[in-house]
Amino acid sequence: MNQLNNGFTLFLSLLVEAMPFLLLGVFFSSLLLFFVDERKLVEKMPKNPLLGALVGSMIGFLFPVCECGNVPVARRFLIQGVPTPVAIGFLLGAPTINPVVIWSTWTAFRDQPEIVVLRVVFSLAIATIIGYVFSFQKDLNPIVQPAIARYMKFNPPAPPETKRRGKPYQEQEAMVPNILQSGTYILGGKAGIPLRIDANFVPPTSNSTSNKPLADKLRLVVDNSIQEFRELGGIMVIGSAIAAAIQILAPRELILSLGAGPITSIVVMLILAVVVSICSTVDSFFALSFASTFSSGSLLAFLVFGPMIDIKGIGLMLSIFKPKTVFYLFALAAQLTFVFTLFLNLHVL
Amino acid sequence: MNNKNPKSKIRNLLLPWLDAIAITAWGVLMLRYWLTNKLNLLIHPNYIWFVVLTGISLIIIGFLKMQELWQRRRRDVTSNSPHISLFPPGWGSALLLTTAILGFIITPQVFASDKALQRGVTADLLGSTRVKPQAFRATVRPEERSLVDWVRTVNVYPEPDTYTGQKVKVQGFVIHPADLGKEYLFLARFVLTCCAADAYPVGLPVKLQDNQERYSADSWLEVEGQMVTENLAGKRQLTIAATSFKKIPQPENPYSY
Repeated sequence: MNQLNNGFTLFLSLLVEAMPFLLLGVFFSSLLLFFVDERKLVEKMPKNPLLGALVGSMIGFLFPVCECGNVPVARRFLIQGVPTPVAIGFLLGAPTINPVVIWSTWTAFRDQPEIVVLRVVFSLAIATIIGYVFSFQKDLNPIVQPAIARYMKFNPPAPPETKRRGKPYQEQEAMVPNILQSGTYILGGKAGIPLRIDANFVPPTSNSTSNKPLADKLRLVVDNSIQEFRELGGIMVIGSAIAAAIQILAPRELILSLGAGPITSIVVMLILAVVVSICSTVDSFFALSFASTFSSGSLLAFLVFGPMIDIKGIGLMLSIFKPKTVFYLFALAAQLTFVFTLFLNLHVL
Repeated sequence: MNNKNPKSKIRNLLLPWLDAIAITAWGVLMLRYWLTNKLNLLIHPNYIWFVVLTGISLIIIGFLKMQELWQRRRRDVTSNSPHISLFPPGWGSALLLTTAILGFIITPQVFASDKALQRGVTADLLGSTRVKPQAFRATVRPEERSLVDWVRTVNVYPEPDTYTGQKVKVQGFVIHPADLGKEYLFLARFVLTCCAADAYPVGLPVKLQDNQERYSADSWLEVEGQMVTENLAGKRQLTIAATSFKKIPQPENPYSY
């Protein structure tokens, strides 16, 4: 009984500490969805593949999205003709390389600052390398889902110099939310135009506040925040429950022997990273509960690999890429994480 | 979004309320922990303001949503189609609400000796690398150091003989690790860096005199005595030779930082 209560206390403490960061994360990402003009950003992307991958993985600083918000954005990047390395870099890097995630990691690992720094460095390196690798694939058709390929074939992105500056206000207004809105999309049958199937996103004309765009936007921000908060919050509850259960139920000898081995600890954490789809904004608290028993390298493996790919992420990525591509992304990211953190375990920490 | 199916119509009307209630419940729970001083048991005091702010924000968001739902209750426009998710609609909020309700029913508890033993207390616990020195005050008199101060100091200058004869007056709770002999007890405190999930025990062994009472695990004590070096579990170890014990109530905030 006492054990159970200890476990519950641990579970609650994870939730209470993580909830503020989650709220901040979803609020920021919702806010930026509605207030940042993605189009201008797209035009400024560098053409050099290596530089592009690097810049792409750092866009997270502008869009603090976690791994659930970044897939739709990455997809729209691709559709708009952003170079592949930029889109891939963004897909893998953005969930980690953003201010909210860095702050929450710092909160959790205040007494091990090296974890915070290395998390950023490793994520940046891996996202850039994989983005660069994908730059050698010039033809997107074999790697993306047919619907996206078809859309890009029939709607080639206009070259940047022909784009008109200073669009009429309404046009921009209508475009921005549609482009940046994270949420559920289906690629419509005819032209493959992404269709938002989210009824919350009611056009503002339907009620009396239509002439107050700011108030409307704010209401949409709140609605979007609620949606993301309940989804990610639900996943966070399950993740915290798993963390607490492992702490309490798993035999201490088993955990100690797994956690101390330089290789086994990393493998276990990589598997946990895939299984536990906890949001990157709060995953450092999950890792923290293993800090006393698992090697630092393995904690990093969880923190670096988790945001890139987990169960929930795979489903989302399949909406952009063919299964083969997702597998390559997955395998490359896992191997790079493994190599980096193993080096750390064996030679540094 | 005209749903012919009455079941899904009801669902579309009720689910947004579930969201709003779950969010409000979490806000109330957080503020309740704050007002009843239970937040100390869960998280580091540095983040209390953040949790309080979140609690208030969640309540505001919840009420805004409820107000909006109430105003348009007659219109069936609230169909919340599923977001990107692993869950069927409503599950996320249901989970959040369930946990919040559990949080209202079950009181978080202070970790005690069983947890400390599970986290691994051995006589050489002092070797713990996780206790890093923080701001040192050079002029601190030995008897003014807390238990955690002692452990931090010893981590910097590990030679136990350095401290021989220094006066000690510290508070903590009793643990009986298996590898300590009957004439010893281990006085410990939990240290929190971020939240209860990373609470880890630190402390010092205490040597009892023959005529002294053996205190049961988890009792809180104030121990006075002198520092000596003992050979414990095959290791030279800084130990408190106790001259007096005083039973104290568990402090309001049992954790150190």
